[in-house]
Amino acid sequence: MEVSINGARILATFENVPLLGTVHITQTVAVGWVVLILISALCIWLGAGLKVTGISRKQAVSEMLVSSLVDFVHGNMGEDMDQYIPLVGTIFVSSVVSNLISLIGFWSPTADLMTELGWALVVFVLITYHKIKASGIGGYLKGFLDPIFLMAPINVMSELFTPISMACRHFGNILSGTVINGLLYAAVAAASYALFGFLSANLPVGLVFLAAGAVCIFLHKKKGKGRKYLVIGIVCCVLGVLGVLSALPLIGDVLTGFPVLTIGLPAITSFYFDWFTGCIQAFIFCTLTTIFIKQATEA
Amino acid sequence: MPSIYQSLVAVEPFTLIATICNLFIQMLIVKHFFLDKVLAVLDERRKAADAEIAAAQSAHAEADAIKSEYEQNMLKAKAEADSIVSGAQKTAAARSEAMLGEAREQAARLKQKAEADIAQERKKAVNDLKNEIGGMAMEIAGKVVEREISEKDHQALIDEFIRNVGESA
Repeated sequence: MEVSINGARILATFENVPLLGTVHITQTVAVGWVVLILISALCIWLGAGLKVTGISRKQAVSEMLVSSLVDFVHGNMGEDMDQYIPLVGTIFVSSVVSNLISLIGFWSPTADLMTELGWALVVFVLITYHKIKASGIGGYLKGFLDPIFLMAPINVMSELFTPISMACRHFGNILSGTVINGLLYAAVAAASYALFGFLSANLPVGLVFLAAGAVCIFLHKKKGKGRKYLVIGIVCCVLGVLGVLSALPLIGDVLTGFPVLTIGLPAITSFYFDWFTGCIQAFIFCTLTTIFIKQATEA
Repeated sequence: MPSIYQSLVAVEPFTLIATICNLFIQMLIVKHFFLDKVLAVLDERRKAADAEIAAAQSAHAEADAIKSEYEQNMLKAKAEADSIVSGAQKTAAARSEAMLGEAREQAARLKQKAEADIAQERKKAVNDLKNEIGGMAMEIAGKVVEREISEKDHQALIDEFIRNVGESA
């Protein structure tokens, strides 16, 4: 069995576009627009019908979100950088939605390095702008020669690697989840095919399982054996029923042709790799954005 | 036929540009339809709360002023009452002192008068007695002359007379 983990699917290709050459319209761009529309709809819904007193539950949620965003930006950047509240909030919500949209079967735009690199480049431009604003263009260029001119290449590299490391950190975490989920899915599917292939070929095995399960459940119910017997009995019965069914002509084809065991199992790992990593990486990216810009103003 | 998948890490300028454009469009939408509206509501509420707090503070200050005025008035009234009481006490003390002095004086005067009266009475009594004694002596002498008396009687009478005179003198 072959497992391949790819990047975004190319939906369309345009040759000889001016300036860009060959342009691939990938899933990243397409789902990026889906994310854009989703977030915009959410914003319009949350921002509608606001009142000063007697607020609805929806408005309480909106106000809580905005307040925590403002507190986050104030905490990391101080009170005088309020113009970055929309940017930080947008990056955060785009990141979270892009990370989690894979849960409903879409390609996650953040599993494409270009998405994070785009955000990081915007942040990089802002960092550079604030550095030049803080110490003048001469002071900014002179900063590369600090402490001695020999350090200039390293300083330039460290400057350029700021957006690259930001982008790669986020991308790598999402990618690792995608890779591990892909491997797990393939492994479980292989196990599923192997199990049902075996069961369909050996009808007696399914019957034995069924009988063993029935005995275990009987022991639990009538002889008062422990809960362990009930669990083992149910598992054996399910396996037995599936085994007998897979040996039947029509249903058997469906069972052996479809990776039944993959239903449900990847949800457990996705809880960590999608939900936890998805939210944490969005938070880290925004924290770095605010802190880097704040540092640039102090240079 | 080209691959339908990009490689895992692919550099695609169009995706990059599209992402950056999306970010700015998204930012404008988030700002215009959500952040600005919610922040405006929050700001309005804060203003209302501030106005209420200011009103409460001014009411508080007013109450404080009234309270201090009241306290001042109370202080003044108390001082006044104190001065009235102390004045009354002083007056009463002075009056009682005067009355006592007067009484004492009167008593002394009465005593003096009584003593003078007593002295006068005694003088008068002594004078009366002297006169009476003189008369009695004459009478006794007359009686003594009329009667036959022994030497022994003479002697006793004279002694008695002299003793009486001596005592009353």
